[in-house]
Amino acid sequence: MSETTTTNEAAVIVPRHYTLRQLLFPSVVSGVVLGVVGAVVVYFIVRALQPDNYDAQVVFAYTGWTLFFFAGIGAFNGIWRWGFARHDDTLEEALDLAGKDQGLWRYFRYTTDHKVVGMQYLATVLVLFFVGSMGAFSIRLEQSVPGAIFFTPSTYNTIVGMHGILMIVASIVMVSGPFGNFVLPIMIGARDMAFPRLNALSYWLLFAAIPVFLSTLFLGGFPTGWTGYAPLAVQGLTPGMDAYCFTIILFAISTTVAALNIITTVLVLRTKGMTLARLPIFVWGVMLSVFLGLTAFPSFLISQVMVLTDRVFHTSFFIAANGGSNWLYEHLFWFMGHPEVYVIALPAMAVAAELSAVFSRKTVFGRRMLLGSLITICILSVLVWGHHLYTSGSNTALDAPYMLDTELISIPTGFFFLALVGTLWRGRIWITVPLLFVAGMLVNFVVGGITGIYLADLPTDEILHGGMFVTAHFHFTLVGSMVFGAFAGFYYWFPKMLGRRLNPRLGALHFWLFEIGFLGTFLSLFYAGLQGEPRWSANVSPLYATANLIASLFAILIAVSVFVAVYNVIISLARGEVATADEWGARTLEWTVPTPVPLENFATLPEVKGTAYEYGLSEPVDKGFGLHEPATPDTMDAPSPQAQS
Amino acid sequence: MSSITAFEEMHHLEPHVRSGRAQAGVIMFIISDVLSILALVAAGGYLNALDTLRQFRAGGHPPALLPGLLTAVVLVLSGLAYYGWERGERKNPGAGQRAIFILAVVLMILTLAGQIWVGLTLGYAAPFHAYASLIMLLTWYSAFHLLLAAIIGLLLLGRIIRGRLVEHPYIAQATGYWWYYTVIAGVILWLFATFL
Repeated sequence: MSETTTTNEAAVIVPRHYTLRQLLFPSVVSGVVLGVVGAVVVYFIVRALQPDNYDAQVVFAYTGWTLFFFAGIGAFNGIWRWGFARHDDTLEEALDLAGKDQGLWRYFRYTTDHKVVGMQYLATVLVLFFVGSMGAFSIRLEQSVPGAIFFTPSTYNTIVGMHGILMIVASIVMVSGPFGNFVLPIMIGARDMAFPRLNALSYWLLFAAIPVFLSTLFLGGFPTGWTGYAPLAVQGLTPGMDAYCFTIILFAISTTVAALNIITTVLVLRTKGMTLARLPIFVWGVMLSVFLGLTAFPSFLISQVMVLTDRVFHTSFFIAANGGSNWLYEHLFWFMGHPEVYVIALPAMAVAAELSAVFSRKTVFGRRMLLGSLITICILSVLVWGHHLYTSGSNTALDAPYMLDTELISIPTGFFFLALVGTLWRGRIWITVPLLFVAGMLVNFVVGGITGIYLADLPTDEILHGGMFVTAHFHFTLVGSMVFGAFAGFYYWFPKMLGRRLNPRLGALHFWLFEIGFLGTFLSLFYAGLQGEPRWSANVSPLYATANLIASLFAILIAVSVFVAVYNVIISLARGEVATADEWGARTLEWTVPTPVPLENFATLPEVKGTAYEYGLSEPVDKGFGLHEPATPDTMDAPSPQAQS
Repeated sequence: MSSITAFEEMHHLEPHVRSGRAQAGVIMFIISDVLSILALVAAGGYLNALDTLRQFRAGGHPPALLPGLLTAVVLVLSGLAYYGWERGERKNPGAGQRAIFILAVVLMILTLAGQIWVGLTLGYAAPFHAYASLIMLLTWYSAFHLLLAAIIGLLLLGRIIRGRLVEHPYIAQATGYWWYYTVIAGVILWLFATFL
């Protein structure tokens, strides 16, 4: 327990020294140990009761892992204390939970400080992207020559499915997780999230899902691809399918918890003067995104529960012979599946909007139009899921409304990009690595967006459905646009989060390798798709060999870019230049606090008197931020600390 | 060493902020759960409408009326008891009759036990056709709701016994949202399962 001492002027907190036992119990170590023990014990109990039901044994083992992991990491301690403790948490207990004086080990415990949770998310997202990328390179390796040479078709199917779901999960949390947790509370002038314990819970649910998901490799994999379609999913081919379903259930709960936390934080913890109208665009983007997730993910959760009950308890939600229907799965899945891409898109788009103002030193063009477009995208995205069922054989009377609504989404999206371009137009542009990624996002989304129009129209979708054209389209939108937006945020906020500057030259190299490699890879796949190449096939026909070979060669550039980025992060952390409090001369609140950010964020809570986008006004206005506006630098490097003072 | 003032402020929130926080969090959670229930109900309606191969109801029968009705009645009584206790708390924090709250919790636990008994005695045989599958999932989903409410009730009872509710009067109201929602959702699901 930390001690307090008093002086003549003020009470102070004396740093606490933890023993090894206090650090390890509870921590991720005790969580994993207890989780494994729990999984094994439950497995053997269920095996004794149901010796022939392998799915039941596996699913209950996962349940045991989850419950005992959370017991071991101390997640239930807070619940117990809420109900049965003799007194509310003291200040010292709250600071212990927030990770004070625990050094790096606080990242391996059930720590409630939002900055710790943000860093945990950042590390996990980067690892998920790395592992998912390895799956992608395996796919390109197999597709570089005709024939199933390197992997069997079933192994290839599992690799494709794992790549897909890993990347989808990573891209859902890639902005809201690290930056929504670390930056958002500071941006609104709060000291922490509304529910700090739930914040830790949301992260550790994601962590607990990872070993569950990876266990599929030892259980025969799953044959359905990332969409997990029934009735293939409910056939008792391998227990590896259970791993997919259980992972999604844990992930859906994690995103629900995170969503209610972020929304509540923004609604009730804004500092004085931070009205909803003055909220930074990034906050709006994240809040709309998680609200969309809150509404969309329940149907995904229910679909996976139904698949598991079909597999374990022999129900028949998706078995036609017993009155079930595969269309039910498709509706439940895609009711989530399409809003999900906007859950991915909205934060990345908001990051791009945020950065465009900073690096053009201009106020945001059409700010209300921009926010209105984000809200309209959010609303319309819930109504378009039927365009994924155009060729499924379901009721054709619904096709026209779905087609119309899908086309309509392009209008607010167009307004958004108009606002972005208008912000950059005639601005005092400062070419930095974050802005490079924003520019790449703009270029790639033009391609991704236009090709989406073809897929939105039923007559063309009838021909293109199930082909590589679709694959190339969603890679252009999700990767070329949204992942680029996430990298823009990564390079932008890295100095604030980790206290070091990333090397801008390596960052630029990362960008150009990624962009050139990405364009070469996926433009080739557009061509292959137009020629008729189907998706999910290990055995590439000689008809598409040239296009696939070109795609695989360009993918090498993407692989190199990944390693450049990893190298940049490692050397920057090891011996990079120390970052200043305000790297970019930006006006949002996170740049008014010191780097590294103290535990309490603000010495005194700020009072906001305007929006954060009044760059380049003819008369300087005191908006209570206390910032000066530095001249636009000539190079990619951030100004030196001396130049900033 | 660091000044205590900013640290104290870290987790110190004004009472109206704490109240707003609690209410917003519970309401978000309810929204998410409502959508899960809607997905279940929509799935049931969809499969009923499709009646694939005319097998939707084959081998299935509606659940027995009386056990479900009794369970629903006990659930409603639990909600009324909670409301009675919460009204007393709102008028004068700490003045809500503890016995009424304990009655609400006991009735909720009895409802949970009843729901588990209903689930175990539905009388369907594997492999379960779509209708039976749906009734089973609705029954156990309801049981999960009741379990959550019972756990929350026990935790709240712990706070009341320890005297830690008086300083946080908003907890009774925020918990009430979930309690009443559990009652309403339970009744709706029972009606849906009975009359599908």
